[in-house]
Amino acid sequence: MTESVILEKLATLWPEIIMISGACICMVVGLSPKQAVRRSVVWITGLALAVAGLLLVAPHFGWWAGETSGGAAGLATAMFVRLSVILLGLLLWLTSWGVPDLLPATQVAEAAAAQGRPFNPSMVCRGEYFAFFLFSLTGAMLCASANDLVWLFLALELTSLPTYIMVATGRNHMAAQEAGLKYFFLGALSVAIFLYGFSLVYGATGTTVIVSTQLQPVSIAGYVAGLQGEFPPLLATGLLLSLVGLAFKIAAFPMHFYVADVYQGAATPVTALLAFVPKMAGFVSIMLLLSVIGWPLPVPVMWVLWIMAAVTMTVGNVLGLLQNNVKRVLAYSSIAHSGYLLVGIVAGPTTSAGTLGQGLAAVLFYIVVYGLATIGAFSVLGCLRVNGEEAQTYDEISGLSRRYPGLALLMLISILSLIGLPPLAGFVGKVYLFGSAISGSFIGLMVVAAINTAVSAVYYLRIIGACYFGESRIKIELVATRAGRLSAGLAAIAVLVLGFRGGWLVEATREATRSVSVVDVDTQPQVAAPDHLSSE
Amino acid sequence: MVVSELHSLVLSHFLFTGAVLFIFGLVGFLCRRNLIMMFLCTEMMFQGVVITLVGFSRFHGNLTGQTFVIFVLTVAAAEAALALGLVVLLFRRKRTLDPEAWGELQG
Repeated sequence: MTESVILEKLATLWPEIIMISGACICMVVGLSPKQAVRRSVVWITGLALAVAGLLLVAPHFGWWAGETSGGAAGLATAMFVRLSVILLGLLLWLTSWGVPDLLPATQVAEAAAAQGRPFNPSMVCRGEYFAFFLFSLTGAMLCASANDLVWLFLALELTSLPTYIMVATGRNHMAAQEAGLKYFFLGALSVAIFLYGFSLVYGATGTTVIVSTQLQPVSIAGYVAGLQGEFPPLLATGLLLSLVGLAFKIAAFPMHFYVADVYQGAATPVTALLAFVPKMAGFVSIMLLLSVIGWPLPVPVMWVLWIMAAVTMTVGNVLGLLQNNVKRVLAYSSIAHSGYLLVGIVAGPTTSAGTLGQGLAAVLFYIVVYGLATIGAFSVLGCLRVNGEEAQTYDEISGLSRRYPGLALLMLISILSLIGLPPLAGFVGKVYLFGSAISGSFIGLMVVAAINTAVSAVYYLRIIGACYFGESRIKIELVATRAGRLSAGLAAIAVLVLGFRGGWLVEATREATRSVSVVDVDTQPQVAAPDHLSSE
Repeated sequence: MVVSELHSLVLSHFLFTGAVLFIFGLVGFLCRRNLIMMFLCTEMMFQGVVITLVGFSRFHGNLTGQTFVIFVLTVAAAEAALALGLVVLLFRRKRTLDPEAWGELQG
């Protein structure tokens, strides 16, 4: 039985298999002595992403009779998450284009090779960079198809471990190594915490399977359904610890300390990746874990998340006001947006019909919209150089509109979408998200979120003010590759299109979360569900 | 049977050992001022998780927990490789293992 289950599961994972293979090819090809071959790593990465995307949608259009299946989150949610990771991954790929080539070590090694001396592969991390890039995206995609705590743990690790290396090596600067250090150590701590949570959940339920349609094997959701509303403390503690650990991935309240330092220290394209990929993985995992107990959430869990959401957005926005480094501002904005997203998690799917009642659908929509806007903003920043270093402060980007009006316009669109101004996608996302809070009768939380949105406008407008009304005293230059600008442009177009014509994506997210809202397991008590541990 | 020989060991022993290791690791992580010791403390937290999983696995009479342990140990090994690589990189830069030396990013 198990063998066929494994094979069936593997048959649904062709896109991920392609991406992992692409990553392995990148690692090898990046070491090639021929310059043309090792430079093709970027193209291999893009090709792997594109092929994975095509394989993912092929069964849907009937081009290929591949298997599709989701994990605990259901087929449609998994599909939505995987596809959005690939599409935004393509944008991130464009943003990342020149990162390894800009490193001084790479330039030294390439210059030496150009003069006929042998190429020293240990100085160039081009292959590694793009391999880890693909690994991280694959991890986020695998989170969506998890139906087991072990799988979820491995997928989360696959998302995070490569990013630690990308942060530490993506930029030749002490700050990058410091950021890598902080990110890695807090990451290891968070993993230990959510693993302890997972072990307690396993202890309470006796299984690591999240949802199962059959009676055997027993699943966590089945166990919870058999409890008839009771909630053993061991399970509650386990879920709580898991949430605290996952707060690291989404940059939310108890684990948000690292965010500003890491975002500032990492190379800007890596920062763009950090703002989207781990957040997506973390929110999908939180949805999976909470779908086990179902909405409306039990009162203690609801309050924990309520407080997490309120504190996260307030901390993010208040500290964002105090910064004068644009990357730090965007880092605090990332924290604040996690707070807004948690509002949707608290509200969850409600029984009332209508578009505005779907907290989870709103979360999926908002992550994509936030990802687009933030990738746009970071891509613009990533294009700019001051004295060979990244442009980071308000002073350095002031007067951008006079020198590079196009880039300033792209920045404007991204930032306005992050604020949530009407014609742009960020507005649709916020209405959708806060609407779910209203229909779930979380008026208090909605008010906190609305006030926070108003506060956040102050620092966002400072960025725009610097770009459009500041005087340029410092000479800004552009990086050589055009890919970053292309990425920013595509992100801005997507934000505009989703703002004016976002209805289809709202529908898609509603379709995607329909299966999460209704956990279809037998409600009768499970056979092997253990007695509560007090029997020891 | 191993179980009958160890009949005096009950679940709470496993859980207690696991929790103690986890908390010692956590306290050590927060208090130690040496990168390698800090990393070993996170490893200790992992071992606390491992003992908890094994205890629960024995209690429930299934092997899921022990399977989980194998994966946890594998990932812990991967993390160890990464951590030591990172620590060597940092040590070459500053010739110290004190995390306080890395305080440039603030604000």
